[in-house]
Amino acid sequence: MSAPGKTEPTDLIVRARTGDADAWGDLYREFAPAIFRFCRRAMPTHEDAEDATMEIFMKLRGKLGQYDPNRSFTAWLYKVAANHCWDMLRRRKGRQDKETDDIENVPLQHPDPNQLERLIEERSNEEVRNALGKVGVRARMALVMRYYSDMSYDEIADALGVRRAFVGVVLLRARHELRQALGENSAVAVGGTR
Amino acid sequence: MSETEMDPKKHLDEMTLMLYVERQLDRERAQEVSLHTQTCTRCLTLLRALDRESRLLTRAMLEQEEPLPKRLAEFRGMVKRSMQWIWGLVFGLAVSGVYGLYAFYIEPWEKELEQAGFGSTNLLSLLVFQGAFWKGWQSMFTLFEVLAIAVLAGTAAFAFRKYLRRGSALAMVFASLGLMLAITPATSAIESRKGDTVTVAKDENIKGDIFLTGNHIRVEGNVDGDVFAFGQQVDISGHVTGDVIPFGQSVRISGQVDGNVRAFANNLTIGGSVTRNVLTFNQVFNLEQSGSIDRSLTLFGQTVTLDGKIGRDFLAFFQQASISGTIEGSLRGKGESLSINSGAMIGGNTSFEGDKPATISSEAKLASPMQFTKLEHHTGRERGFWFYFWKLVWTVAFVLLGLVLFGLFPSFAVHTMEAGEHYGAAFGLGVLVTFGLPIAAILACITIVGLVLGISTLFLYVFVLLCTGIVVGTIVGQWILGRTTEFWPLAGRMALGVLLVRIVTSIPFIGFWAKLAVVLWGVGAISLAVYRRLQPVVAPNIPSVPTAPLSSPLPPNTTVGGM
Repeated sequence: MSAPGKTEPTDLIVRARTGDADAWGDLYREFAPAIFRFCRRAMPTHEDAEDATMEIFMKLRGKLGQYDPNRSFTAWLYKVAANHCWDMLRRRKGRQDKETDDIENVPLQHPDPNQLERLIEERSNEEVRNALGKVGVRARMALVMRYYSDMSYDEIADALGVRRAFVGVVLLRARHELRQALGENSAVAVGGTR
Repeated sequence: MSETEMDPKKHLDEMTLMLYVERQLDRERAQEVSLHTQTCTRCLTLLRALDRESRLLTRAMLEQEEPLPKRLAEFRGMVKRSMQWIWGLVFGLAVSGVYGLYAFYIEPWEKELEQAGFGSTNLLSLLVFQGAFWKGWQSMFTLFEVLAIAVLAGTAAFAFRKYLRRGSALAMVFASLGLMLAITPATSAIESRKGDTVTVAKDENIKGDIFLTGNHIRVEGNVDGDVFAFGQQVDISGHVTGDVIPFGQSVRISGQVDGNVRAFANNLTIGGSVTRNVLTFNQVFNLEQSGSIDRSLTLFGQTVTLDGKIGRDFLAFFQQASISGTIEGSLRGKGESLSINSGAMIGGNTSFEGDKPATISSEAKLASPMQFTKLEHHTGRERGFWFYFWKLVWTVAFVLLGLVLFGLFPSFAVHTMEAGEHYGAAFGLGVLVTFGLPIAAILACITIVGLVLGISTLFLYVFVLLCTGIVVGTIVGQWILGRTTEFWPLAGRMALGVLLVRIVTSIPFIGFWAKLAVVLWGVGAISLAVYRRLQPVVAPNIPSVPTAPLSSPLPPNTTVGGM
């Protein structure tokens, strides 16, 4: 995974690793908006997203020494961001609810293809983002990792701490949850797991 | 994939279709799906719907619906965040510094004093636990209680840092801690007076501590507590049952003080009586014939005249001292010249370290002969086996300290070395911090409120000075053996470098200048590393709306699998 069309900021990274504040400023200027959007999608509130963005960049200063320049910096950055957000969410999740650990065994209902098409056609980007806030934390995290930062199934499995073969289940369940959230305000509700 | 099993007679399940869209199926199964959807309208419709769903998700997520929040675009918030860890570091350094200072300096000094038979004066006890600097230590918390609370608060702040999501919440925690520390003295020190001339009149009786600030301060009445006086002229002629802590140009105590006197003054004259100890830093000290100190006098000054009576011991560092009064305990002095005049009486041991032997009048009464030690101005002559032995011991101790620090702060250690290689900046900042920090800390001490901060800063300063040899040694080691960030290779370079630095700084004549260079360079490197850590990760003046192309660092649209 990389950012095609985007030259990796090798020079900036080298300078930032030596503690060059200007280089840090440039790196931040370039990547903070994207990371903030990642956090905005993954975290429940705007404030959480801001906090997470700052913490990720603070963490990055200590972790930059671990970055392998032969790999994509963007991919590595998203991995750091995903791990951080998931850590935050998981700690809260432990307190707030017991997300279905036995999700593997929950049967997934087959959706009506036409209903699904209609639902997708009718929903705007904004509605999708709003609905994203109503799904479970793991489902949301999986969707963001996959459809925002283009992380591979292996990377998602690694970040979520699940088996690789289970990632598809998580993503499919996440789609069902999202459809349900999207359908709550209309007569259209497609499939579901509940 | 094992999630699904194909059956050409049945419709494909959603999982299989989604994995197909996501390009997660192996080639063989993908072909089966492809063939099936060519003949099955229902599955094809679902496949298309899933594909469109993927596109919708990606599109919705990548849309830039809002600019970067101001809080993130501005760097101030980042500075606040970056401060959180630095407090832990500073506190850790301060605690280590306190321990290092005690272990390396105070304890050996204490032992030396005890071996020299310096009465019952226990310097650490005098300075800290008996409240020579500040009575607060004894009246509210011991040093260790304060440290314990600070450690607890730090641990709690660290453990609950996720909940302390706002600077204000964190500030509240520290403010509460500060309040806890301040509340006890506040209960007893409630009165303060300000003005050009501040007086506690003869017929006045003050209950509790009092703060007096003004050009001319007179305490003629009774104070049943401590007196803190900040003024040009301070005159205590009344009765103080607690301690007197004056800061002034000219301080005169002609009344009665039941507690200690801790004075920071240009001239201090005691003509009255002090029931406990006196600790004073001043240029001119005068204990008049009518003056008496029932316990010990510890003095750091230039000119000392002692005509009155000291109940116990007298420890002094001075330029010139003249003694005509009585010292019932021991005398231990270090300075240029000492004169013991007729009428003087010393009940304990008398020792003096100076440039020339003390002048002792034949009419002076000394319980034991004067022990004189000529003040050694360091030359190469005394360098024997033990000199080099202790040099080696110290070198090993510094290497061990370096190992501990590298282990505790590996990242900071590397950054410090990198900062040290910016020679100009390191030396410049080194000069600034080396000379500026102690001045700032002493100024903070004078304000009383900043006493704890000031003393902590001084401890930290001493610790940083101790570390300069390690920093410079490591840089030198890296010059010789090449750069590394690995722990043990770095430790090896540090050991070699520290050894070389110790050797160079031990060379007569140039050693002093080498030491100064090491201190400036090392202090500068550490300060620069700390400064860079404190720097925000964003450059100032970044506009709220990011100027960089927002989508540039983003991955491509993953529509039907981005693998």
